Amino acid sequence: MADEQRQSAPSGGGHGAPRREGGGHGGPRREGGPGGGPGGPGGPRRGKRQFFRKKKVCKFCVEKMDMVDYKRADILSQFVQERGKILPRRMTGVCSRHQRWLGVAIKRARNIALLPFAGSASGTQQPRQVVPAGTAPAHAAPTAGISHAATPAAAAAPAAHEETPNS
Amino acid sequence: MQERLYDLIFIVRPATPEEDIKKVLTTLEHTVAEKNGKIEKTEHWGTRKLAYRVAKHREGIYVYQQIRTEHGELIAELERRLRVQDVVIKYMTVRLDEDIKRQKKLGGKREKRAARRPKRTATPAPVPAPVAAQEPAPAAS
Repeated sequence: MADEQRQSAPSGGGHGAPRREGGGHGGPRREGGPGGGPGGPGGPRRGKRQFFRKKKVCKFCVEKMDMVDYKRADILSQFVQERGKILPRRMTGVCSRHQRWLGVAIKRARNIALLPFAGSASGTQQPRQVVPAGTAPAHAAPTAGISHAATPAAAAAPAAHEETPNS
Repeated sequence: MQERLYDLIFIVRPATPEEDIKKVLTTLEHTVAEKNGKIEKTEHWGTRKLAYRVAKHREGIYVYQQIRTEHGELIAELERRLRVQDVVIKYMTVRLDEDIKRQKKLGGKREKRAARRPKRTATPAPVPAPVAAQEPAPAAS
């Protein structure tokens, strides 16, 4: 009984595997990458199965949209990165025609402040909260000397601090 | 010249009272009426967060209009009026009719294709059924 269970469990997984491999040819191409890692210790699953990729379908084609509306920031924001970059087609699976329209729509939305040109809304707000957060003069003295050699992120903060004592 | 459809969006300062927005809208209406244009739609989107700072504001009240006109100068005139207004911090006009024309064309194509196709879709897919029946059995024992 115990043997049966042990055998049957992997075979159940095995049924799933070959079918998927047959379906998508995405597997072999990517094998060189992160391939060894996850497949390693386990016996029953051999490598390739992890690299089955779901076939991406163009969202706009599925919903039969003939126009990408620049006013729908909620839809457009799904196709930009956090910092506002337009995502490439290979990531989102949008068809070439819709990607073309999408690019235009995103650029229009940017013009009317529905989408950021660069940097998310939260990104622009963070430094603003940091600056007035008190203790400015105390920190300003030690960091001001090093600010030129510091990393860009750190350099931005002291620069803001330096302004406060002057004023 | 043929009629064209435009989108006009403008953003006013977040703390603007209703009357000032009304005032802006009436001036727009007058200008449109002068040139025999027509305002097809007016939508108030209300206060929205801006994606970036505009005139030192992080929020703004959006107003959206659709305008149909034969005269391109009307748009130039509208933009000039908006630029002069103090409460308006940003505006944009977009010509829509070509997009809509393209949309109609594609919509027509799809309908044609759909009308041709339906014969093929009636094939059943019996493959997954036996596999699904086998799998739950070992898990239960």
